[in-house]
Amino acid sequence: MPSALTAGVAPEIACALCGFVYVPQGDACREHRCPFAVSGCTTRHCPRCGYAVPDEEASVAARFVRKLVGGGGGTSAHTLADLPAGAAAVVERLRGEPALLARLTAQGLAPGVAVRLLQRAPTFVVEMGETTIAIERAVAEAIVLRAEPAVR
Amino acid sequence: MKLNTVFNVTRYRSDFASHPEPPRRVILLGNPNVGKSALFNALTGLRATVSNYPGTTVEVYRGRLPGTEGEVLDAPGLNSILPLSEDERVTWSLVQSARSEPGSLVVQVADAKNLRRALLITLQLAQLEVPTVLVLNMADEAEARGIRIDVAGLEAELGIPVKTTVATTGEGVEAVRAAGTAARAPKNHLPLPPEVTGPALELLNGREVPPTVPPVLASYHEALLAHADRLARRFATDAEPASALWSRRLGRLAVHPVWGWPILGLVLLALYELVGVFGAGTLVNLLEDGVFHRWVNPFAAALFSVAPWPAVRDLFVGDYGLVTMGLAYGLAIVLPIVTTFFTAFALLEDSGYLPRLAVMSDRVFRLMGLNGKAVLPMVLGLGCDTMATLTTRILPTRKERLLATLLLALGIPCSAQLGVILAMLAVVPLRAALVWFATVAAAMVAVGWLAARVLPGERGPFVVELPPMRRPALANVAVKTVARVEWYLKEALPLFLVGTLLLFLLDRLRLLDVVIRAGEPLVTGVLGLPPEASAAFLIGFLRRDFAATRLFDMSRGGGLDPAQLVVAMVTITLFIPCIANVFMIAKERGVKTAAAIAAFVFPVAFAMGGLARLLMRELPFLVAP
Repeated sequence: MPSALTAGVAPEIACALCGFVYVPQGDACREHRCPFAVSGCTTRHCPRCGYAVPDEEASVAARFVRKLVGGGGGTSAHTLADLPAGAAAVVERLRGEPALLARLTAQGLAPGVAVRLLQRAPTFVVEMGETTIAIERAVAEAIVLRAEPAVR
Repeated sequence: MKLNTVFNVTRYRSDFASHPEPPRRVILLGNPNVGKSALFNALTGLRATVSNYPGTTVEVYRGRLPGTEGEVLDAPGLNSILPLSEDERVTWSLVQSARSEPGSLVVQVADAKNLRRALLITLQLAQLEVPTVLVLNMADEAEARGIRIDVAGLEAELGIPVKTTVATTGEGVEAVRAAGTAARAPKNHLPLPPEVTGPALELLNGREVPPTVPPVLASYHEALLAHADRLARRFATDAEPASALWSRRLGRLAVHPVWGWPILGLVLLALYELVGVFGAGTLVNLLEDGVFHRWVNPFAAALFSVAPWPAVRDLFVGDYGLVTMGLAYGLAIVLPIVTTFFTAFALLEDSGYLPRLAVMSDRVFRLMGLNGKAVLPMVLGLGCDTMATLTTRILPTRKERLLATLLLALGIPCSAQLGVILAMLAVVPLRAALVWFATVAAAMVAVGWLAARVLPGERGPFVVELPPMRRPALANVAVKTVARVEWYLKEALPLFLVGTLLLFLLDRLRLLDVVIRAGEPLVTGVLGLPPEASAAFLIGFLRRDFAATRLFDMSRGGGLDPAQLVVAMVTITLFIPCIANVFMIAKERGVKTAAAIAAFVFPVAFAMGGLARLLMRELPFLVAP
């Protein structure tokens, strides 16, 4: 599903406090009208009790510690600029100038969105749903992707 | 944790409910490339006037709803109502006016295939409580892609009329007209924490214009987008893959690292055939010889022969006559060229090729401190540098606008000049023509490269949306072309007359000869041209295509050998385009900048001319017959 905002979101997690099982930014969050679920859900709050579950991928420190102790995950941030042409992935977050980010998000490029990189030259061309945009490498480097393997 | 949520309660406007009068003012807005202009034409019946929004260069098309006093305004395309760029500020202020004036409403045009991005804007209209009608355009394309939309459900959810149209065929347009009286502010069920919406709403309400973009605006867009996406998925089914469509294939080929180049070549060739061959050749001949030389000039001569003073006769029908030179020049030579050019430009615009051209040319412009977006003013500059100087405003940073203005003034020949230059280059060997091209291109790249390093400031990031390629609607192309040509004539024709008057006065006061003698050392010494060429360069200060024509005449009379011809061409190509262009630079970038650019361009032009002369003297085979 090209335009699916939730395509490829993290799998179900269980709340450490109340044990409620939910998919971040999934149906449960919506049913509970979680106010955090609407803003890209960068923090993982249990929609039932509101307890925050740490999101390792969003934290540089957590990833660093994970690397030190040798646990899985913990890959260095990989961005759209690292993706081969033709590959798909899900946006984790955007970084960079506020003006650029405001523009990209207005064009529909936001965390949780599934993207496909069509080509890398003469410029990068990204497709997300019915929207196609051309960006330069510096902008592609500002788009951090989720660590899970891309769906081809 | 405080969970303040903002619920906007919809206030129904009583004046709409109780007095179902036709709307007085309809503002069309929507994302770029959703068929807004096509709907505008369908609503107004092809009678549009184009004007710049006060104090800006943003084109706003105006028309009337047939049979009523209602005015329709076509606002520039946008992705968010947040006023962050000049275009968006214009649309934002139009939306503000719809909020405050009774009888005003917004018709939001959406691509039925891309509901989520449209709903982001609808949600903003809800926050602003603007009476809105949502139009899902290109319904035929959506249907072909297997998208089913629950229009009634969407209407109920948003509390506003939602209509589906195919604006290019007129389908559903009548329903949109009728829906005007039922416009409401969209309902807003979106709970948003105030720390996210606060700054955005301040900006939307115009209470605060921050010097820099607050970081929270991205989160605000994300929040709207997430909600829009939920709505879109509730009321519309997903599209089937479109990879088989010819438009999509062509769109991808046009930016392909390999196939993009031959396609670019074909586009340029077509542009040349339409503007260079048909416009500058066939049409100009028809108007100049067929109309002016045969009818207008003899008629004017007869008319003014009754005038008792020869000065008055000369003023209108002399060598530098207002009719025989000013009008003939503006109407017979420039009008057909700019008309064909603007037709070609509108075709490129509506086909969706221009952003792809930006992708293909990004590398070259990067060398010169710009990015691919600069290709738009540059291509438009091939039509008219003065108009293109205006459109440099689309570039995001001050540095880029200055660089683009400089490069336009330096090396982009406008269509009138290009026509003359191509005619001149036809009489020299191809190698010599390449010397002209290489010298001008080298000057552009070198100057751009240096200026990019000398000028302070930044280059903006390259982000360009690639709309699907589509067949341009001819009515649309015609409206755009006519509106632009009208604008151009209003701007340019008075200047042709002023320029002609100036030449006339210089000639009468015998100042022309003085200036010609003063220029001799430069023209003969540096460029190695005959002294009479000074006269050509002098009128080059007014319009360089004027000068090119004069030089063309000289070479036809055997006054210039091929090497001299190329030197003269290089110099005159790099001249400031015309006096109107200098005025425009002064207006847009300030008098100081205009003076600096002029002071820079003229020495560069003569230096590059001298360089071309040296090159051909050292390598004589370049111009050998």
